[in-house]
Amino acid sequence: MAKAESYSVPESTFWERLKTFVNAELINIFAALLFLLLAIFLLYPILAVLIKSVKDPQGLTLGYYLKFFTKGYYFRSLQNTLLLGFINTIISLVVGFCLAYLTTRGPIILRKPLKIVSMMPLIAPPYLFAISLIILFGRNGILTKAFGFNWSIYGFTGVVIAQTLAFIPLAYLMIENTLMSLNPNLEESAYDLGASEGRIIRTITIPLLTPGILKAGLLVFVMTIAEFGNAAILGGRTPFLAPDTYTMIIGEADFEMGSVLSVILIIPCIIIFFLHNYLLTGKKFTTIGGKPVASEPRKMTLLVKVPFLVIGFAAVFAILISFGVVLMASFTKILGVKNEIVFSHILNFDSNRAIYNSIQVSLIAAFIGAIIGTLLAYVIVRGKFFGRNFIEMLSLSGFALPGTVIGIGYLLAFNTPPFKLTGGIMILALNCVFRFLAVGVEAGISKLHQINIEIEEASADLGANFMTTFYKIILPIMFPAFIAGFIYTFMTAIVSLSAVVFLVSPGFELAAVKIFDAAVYGEIGVASATTMKLVAIVIFCMMILNYLTKKTGFDISQKKGAI
Amino acid sequence: MDTYPFMLVLENIHKFYDRLEVLKGISMEVRKGEMVTFVGPSGCGKTTLLRIIGGFTSLDSGEVILDGQRIDHLPPNLRDTRICFQNYALFPHMTVAENISYGLKIKKWKKNRIQERIEELLKLVKLEGLGGRMIDKLSGGQQQRVALARALSLEPKVLLLDEPLSNLDANLRLTMRGEIRKLQDRLKITTIFVTHDQFEAMSISDRIVVMKEGVIQQVGSPIEIYERPNNEFIASFVGYVNFLDGRIEKVDIGLHRAIASTPIGEIQFIPERTNINVGDSVKLVIRPETINISGSEPLTGNNTFQGEVEIGMYVGSLAKYTVMIKGEKFIIDQPNPRETFFKPREKVYLSIPENIHLLIKTETPQ
Repeated sequence: MAKAESYSVPESTFWERLKTFVNAELINIFAALLFLLLAIFLLYPILAVLIKSVKDPQGLTLGYYLKFFTKGYYFRSLQNTLLLGFINTIISLVVGFCLAYLTTRGPIILRKPLKIVSMMPLIAPPYLFAISLIILFGRNGILTKAFGFNWSIYGFTGVVIAQTLAFIPLAYLMIENTLMSLNPNLEESAYDLGASEGRIIRTITIPLLTPGILKAGLLVFVMTIAEFGNAAILGGRTPFLAPDTYTMIIGEADFEMGSVLSVILIIPCIIIFFLHNYLLTGKKFTTIGGKPVASEPRKMTLLVKVPFLVIGFAAVFAILISFGVVLMASFTKILGVKNEIVFSHILNFDSNRAIYNSIQVSLIAAFIGAIIGTLLAYVIVRGKFFGRNFIEMLSLSGFALPGTVIGIGYLLAFNTPPFKLTGGIMILALNCVFRFLAVGVEAGISKLHQINIEIEEASADLGANFMTTFYKIILPIMFPAFIAGFIYTFMTAIVSLSAVVFLVSPGFELAAVKIFDAAVYGEIGVASATTMKLVAIVIFCMMILNYLTKKTGFDISQKKGAI
Repeated sequence: MDTYPFMLVLENIHKFYDRLEVLKGISMEVRKGEMVTFVGPSGCGKTTLLRIIGGFTSLDSGEVILDGQRIDHLPPNLRDTRICFQNYALFPHMTVAENISYGLKIKKWKKNRIQERIEELLKLVKLEGLGGRMIDKLSGGQQQRVALARALSLEPKVLLLDEPLSNLDANLRLTMRGEIRKLQDRLKITTIFVTHDQFEAMSISDRIVVMKEGVIQQVGSPIEIYERPNNEFIASFVGYVNFLDGRIEKVDIGLHRAIASTPIGEIQFIPERTNINVGDSVKLVIRPETINISGSEPLTGNNTFQGEVEIGMYVGSLAKYTVMIKGEKFIIDQPNPRETFFKPREKVYLSIPENIHLLIKTETPQ
């Protein structure tokens, strides 16, 4: 027994024991803290909306929902929204497929230019197209006056056109991605067995692309019904859910009905979020491996080429025209009415101050967002605690939730103590952080999946404790993901409108809100100029990203958050 | 018998990728019912050549003539050639039967004829009863058979096989190799087989086309290629070879004997060609399995050299040695070693056979 004593553990102090505990449990401590943040800034606001929609002074009630389904106006707004989503999805998919087919199978000289123009809407806030449509077809629009049209762009058609143009890149990129990953030998085999191009597309290409097209469709659908700007600016008297919530809250201060509309809007979004993330993942036709041969471009038959080119070029033309007129309107007194070159829109003081504010808010959001995103990614990938999947789902869900809903949620949740934040700059930044968290988290997760856990184990094996490993190994490796998260959050935050429109306080206006107000009040010059300044900022960010991608070899592109 | 014996003629084919010439004037003929293999290291142009025959890649100059007709301007769907891709390229959203009948439907065959043909093909590739299966419910070997059946469905004049066995595991590869050859023999279908595996090429083909850097190095039967390679590349491509530099010292046409001096001493051999002269610089090609190894000096025979074992590896059916003779390294395969196995640093005697293949060096060494 005396021998055993010499092996006994020396007395450790409280601090040493605490240090050991922290080191062993650090990942779980992080997880707990992050969960707390997600609960406060994502879960709680959504719950606040839900509760508001079923609570009246007497207790719980479904009365507001009854009102929604019985009053024609509200119900029509739901109908319009779903119809808009449906039509938009179909058009975007058709156009996206034509463009993707042309840029992957079409004439070589067209591929690059078509691709660039197809992706151009990514660098602009979606409401750029609402502004361009007003410039072209508005009451004083260039084409309205030139041809004496007497139909109004304000209404369902206008919203459909603007939304389609805004979401072409989303459909295009996703379809192009699946087209590129399609083994060329499959189409070649069909060709070899005697099939014509039309038949190949019908019997091989489209059936094999179905899961990818379906995914793209669901995403476009969600984005379209949740989009606020285009419908709010161009909707006119046609009711849509997202802008109606805004009118309810800001115009009529009817928080209960605003909440009901939000909950109704959230339902399809959540259903699709689950479909997208859990049902369709891995649903892909597997093809047997082997080195993919670079297939030589084959000539497209005219029967396919002509309609594809017509559709593709119509879209490309519309995108270019939209950018063109908004750019022109930025430097013209009133485009189409007083065609004098002026710099007053670009130099507009309110606009520049709003841009400055937006940069400030977006920088704060980007910094906090990148940190939280990186940590979340680490915890999600490496953690082994209960509820890990729930944290992952929660952190990605901000992306699926309509901005208007989160906006109302923040308004309801952070208007009273203990979390009194309304009226400040922090509520704007935090809102952006948690809405756009998905991008940073996904960048981090994909980075971590490239890193073998054995690297961390090797560090531990050499005597490092968790803290040292985290600082010396994990953080440096995750740095590119951190930067990607930072820039993406910044880019999406600076153009985002739907949530912050509820949260800005008088005297602290953001650029997106300024554009919205100016567009609604018919100050097209200022709206255009401010939009173009945002476009310039986004282009600048993309250039940095591009540079970093080349430098680090870590592909941080191809990720796009909600706007 | 057909008077025109060639099913496929390739005439001076050139192909550039940008400025890189990947095929530098390929000409050859394939006889009716022949099984020809294109073999060579990756990047030699064999797959490009196959794709040109199939119509998937255009050629920059030259002609492809199928059964007497020029086809190089035709798209794949109008050529009577069918390809079987390396990754099979089976349509994953269709059943086995739908895959096999894809081409038949395009050719507008009658329903009952299609059904008959499906049954016939399934029987041919031994997949009876699996017509209703989805592709991803098949094993690799079964997928291979479906791909073969699909390519055969329209009875092409030439069957093109692009490394069809490279996705199978070693045992299955051997089985399928035999089955493809049996099938080809039975159907008498002209077949071009592309592979990078020289043993696969040797065991399956009537003739082998060895390619390197876009140029045909040699065309010949497996025996010709192995026993009488045209150059060093081919000699080492079809198996390990001991090369020995030498100079012809004596040629005796009458006795059919010659002597070459080499770094390890003089070697006597039977010249297989008559155009060698005293003073020629040559390379002696000595295959590892032709060298005899023993522990004591043989009583008879020429070309015996003493050396020291450097490495010995016993693999059962074979013992593999590296033996040094006067600074030259020799690899020796001793078949059926039984109880004799030499250890490193043991003294051994090597007997080099007299029927040696010679490569004449074109350039004179300094």
